Amino acid sequence: MNEGALKELLYKMADDLLILGHRNSEWTGMGPLLEEDIAFSSMAQDKVGQSLALYNILHALGEQAPDTVAFTRHAAQFHNCILVELPNQEYDFSLIRHFLFDTADSLRWEMLTKSTYEPLSLLAKKIKGELRYHTLHANTWMKQLGTATQESISRLQQSLQVVMPYALGIFEPSPNESILLTEGIFEGESALQAKWKTRVEEIVSGTKLHLPDWKTVTPVFGGRLGKHSEHLEPMLNEMSEVFRMDPTAEW
Amino acid sequence: MNSLDPRVSRLPEIGKPGVILPKIPLDQFASFEVFVQPREGKPFQHEGIVHAPNIDMAYIFAKENFTRRFTCTSLYVAETRNVYVSSTTDGERNAYDLVADVSTSGVNDEYEIFHLVKRGKQHIAVGTVMAGSPEEAMSTARKMFNTKLVYNIWAVKRSNIRLTTPEELDLWTTLPEKRFRDAGDYKGGDKLKDFLDKQKLTS
Repeated sequence: MNEGALKELLYKMADDLLILGHRNSEWTGMGPLLEEDIAFSSMAQDKVGQSLALYNILHALGEQAPDTVAFTRHAAQFHNCILVELPNQEYDFSLIRHFLFDTADSLRWEMLTKSTYEPLSLLAKKIKGELRYHTLHANTWMKQLGTATQESISRLQQSLQVVMPYALGIFEPSPNESILLTEGIFEGESALQAKWKTRVEEIVSGTKLHLPDWKTVTPVFGGRLGKHSEHLEPMLNEMSEVFRMDPTAEW
Repeated sequence: MNSLDPRVSRLPEIGKPGVILPKIPLDQFASFEVFVQPREGKPFQHEGIVHAPNIDMAYIFAKENFTRRFTCTSLYVAETRNVYVSSTTDGERNAYDLVADVSTSGVNDEYEIFHLVKRGKQHIAVGTVMAGSPEEAMSTARKMFNTKLVYNIWAVKRSNIRLTTPEELDLWTTLPEKRFRDAGDYKGGDKLKDFLDKQKLTS
């Protein structure tokens, strides 16, 4: 087994979930409805929990402890896609990001249920229900706001245009993917992207939204290589603020 | 009148003479009743209410608002106006004694029946009856489920319920591990005691 290639996959998945989990948790107490505030916060907590499970797998492979990895790295050492680090804007932005990311995430985990790397396939099976809820939540909101009023439709449409180039950045290719494919660990980003496009098209076709012509969208890459937007470092500083006060504290 | 005080901002405007308009509904969502099955084999019980624009949205809200802690095996929701409520008794009489006899209509719609067996507790599902109306459902339920004193009875037509589908039953598989959502998982008292003990030693 090629450990480098495997670790790269684990890190990018874990970092995506930790960063998006933190971003989504920023809505806690400020959600558009009390019920949604609680639902979105719960899912943010799920994401951080899933990232912890992945950091634990990495720890078993010789990487540092989850807290150290989560709270002491600099932005350039993170491998999340840029999509997840973008600051929250209006709620339509967060919903579109949630929909596009979670669709990809649930398909990725679905593929990983067949992974030859057992810790990943077991985790994929374990969190299937959490992912089912996350996509049900996203799809229900898309259907609701994507068919409701002129304002809701145009707001979602606007966010869809803005977010799409970053969403394609989820699938930033890596030379290590062929190794993972050969070893049966993961089928690769382009296989995932193809499934994702089909699913996104299917959900959007049930709304009054329009997808851009895929050929006209230029993906925003760089995140997987540690080249991030200016938004990640301030977010990490805030996220690790309490940890840095007393790194030995037990909670 | 620009005021944030609802007593002022909700005052009707001075209209033109002769104009009659329908009352404007409040800008609020409908409410939906949430029923939870806490464990395998246990009946569904009423847990509370969510507000939502429709039943599908109500379901996704109910899932995290009422089943994010403890254990849960299934969930369903119904719009409040589709929940039919019998007369409530003072506990001296059985609520079924106040249910009128309704002759059989021959219509076989499924209705879920719920009992309130203790005042201040939740309504608990007792079973399904076939009927053509909520009144008939309660009348039929009296023949089937009238075994002990109940304060109140609810009847909900099954086609008005958003059920959890068989493939959705895995929504709660990781829930028992989320102990961190329970206050009991934080031993604040123990930590405070340790801290105070340490303070005593150093002083």
